[in-house]
Amino acid sequence: MLRLENVSKIYPTSARPALDDVSVDVEAGEFVFLIGPSGSGKSTLLRLLLREETPTRGNVYVANWNVARLANRKVPRLRQRMGCVFQDFRLLPNRSVGDNVAFALEVTGKSEHTIRAVVPEMLELVDLTGKADRMPAELSGGEAQRVAIARALANRPLVLLADEPTGNLDPETSDDIMLLLDRINRAGTTVLMATHDRQIVDAMRRRVVELHLGRLARDDARGVYGARR
Amino acid sequence: MNGLAFVWREALAGLRRNVTMSVAMMLTTAISLGMLGAGLLAVRTIDRTQDLYYSQLAVQVALDEPTSAGDPDCSSPVCAGLRGQLQGDPLVAGVTYESREQAYQRFLRIYAGQSILQLVRPQSLPATLRVTLEDPTRGDALVAGYSTRPGVRNVVDQRRLVEDLFTFLGSVRNAAFGLASVQALAALLLISNTIQVSAFTRRTEVGIMRLVGATRWYTQVPFLIEAVITGVVGAVLATVGLVLGKLFFIDRLLSGRLISNAIPAVGMSDVLLFVAPLLLVIGAAIATATGYVTLRLYVRN
Repeated sequence: MLRLENVSKIYPTSARPALDDVSVDVEAGEFVFLIGPSGSGKSTLLRLLLREETPTRGNVYVANWNVARLANRKVPRLRQRMGCVFQDFRLLPNRSVGDNVAFALEVTGKSEHTIRAVVPEMLELVDLTGKADRMPAELSGGEAQRVAIARALANRPLVLLADEPTGNLDPETSDDIMLLLDRINRAGTTVLMATHDRQIVDAMRRRVVELHLGRLARDDARGVYGARR
Repeated sequence: MNGLAFVWREALAGLRRNVTMSVAMMLTTAISLGMLGAGLLAVRTIDRTQDLYYSQLAVQVALDEPTSAGDPDCSSPVCAGLRGQLQGDPLVAGVTYESREQAYQRFLRIYAGQSILQLVRPQSLPATLRVTLEDPTRGDALVAGYSTRPGVRNVVDQRRLVEDLFTFLGSVRNAAFGLASVQALAALLLISNTIQVSAFTRRTEVGIMRLVGATRWYTQVPFLIEAVITGVVGAVLATVGLVLGKLFFIDRLLSGRLISNAIPAVGMSDVLLFVAPLLLVIGAAIATATGYVTLRLYVRN
């Protein structure tokens, strides 16, 4: 589903490569933690998958897309088939909760009829039924992240990329979000989640890919965060 | 396509978000288009005036004193010879003869009641051959060819006499076009800048949209529509301005006694049917082009 082949990424302003000869393969339906300290290359890896960056060397594949070589005009297509959530939620601030979810459907050209049916369904999935008319500023962090997840799932994506989705949340809210992501994964969606939350990783016992200074340090099928730090 | 409703809503929201800038943009566009419209009306008026005059203008071949005297019908050999030559000239469309007595009668009509009449005797006026030309611009050739013929006092191309008027109208037109182009440049820069500012303030929002998979259609077309609306509103305001200008300024100016017969009136149909559609098309086209170029050059998302 996701495949990186000997991927290196060198930013022109930095002496050290952000990613250095990294190869990772994620099968459909897997749940994978991407861990490592700040600056280890987690975000760069996700940015390469979303084609926010192109690799300096190596190949990046998402399903059948050769992401690095994808024509610019086809990038929206790729992103429409991927869901992504972030530490800072990235909701559209002047649209309601419902409109935020609807927007993801709108850009893929779904009909008004479909949108009206899917939005409540998604909000129900993340336990936000009845909050469609709220504005993002009125939401708690946990609620905002649920909206982001609902938006990410609206188009039934091949894969859900999560970049520190619990980074701004208290532990209890984080657990709720993890339960939600776990449920989504069990329903069949591939999940790749970057985090440095030790407790979460240890509790879930899922595959762990660890990056250290841009290099692949570890890839355990049922891992914990590790004893080193 | 529901995307159309979306970009339309976004464009209107964009214009509302930055009202002062939107209004400035529209007014500048309106003024530049108004100037352009005034220039176009001037061109049209100049064309009409030229048509009006050139159909009446002629080259006057004034005959000398001996030839003019006592010849009511151009029967003297010199006059008849000249007339024959002129009629045979390929430049010439027609020739009519005005005798000294006829010239005097016309003079009396034109200057009726004025003191100059007491100074003029029929003998002061020459008999004239009025020559209309196939091509009114070729008067020079006739002046050169006939001025030194026997029996000719002088040859006057009347076109020369009204050229000053056309020079004046032409400079009105040039001034309008000049101001229009300066103002148009200001309007272009303003539209371009507004789009850049607008895109910059919305960069986070646009970035999120792009991440969710929005195509450029969703993120950029709203800016283009903002530009088009600006162009169209500018054109409408310009047309209103021209209509008011016609009613309260041009009409009064041209209805003055001195000038009313000299320059044809500017019709409302000229403003509404000729200039307004042009301004609409030009305004929308230029605003769209500016928006497109700005997005290409300055806005990456």
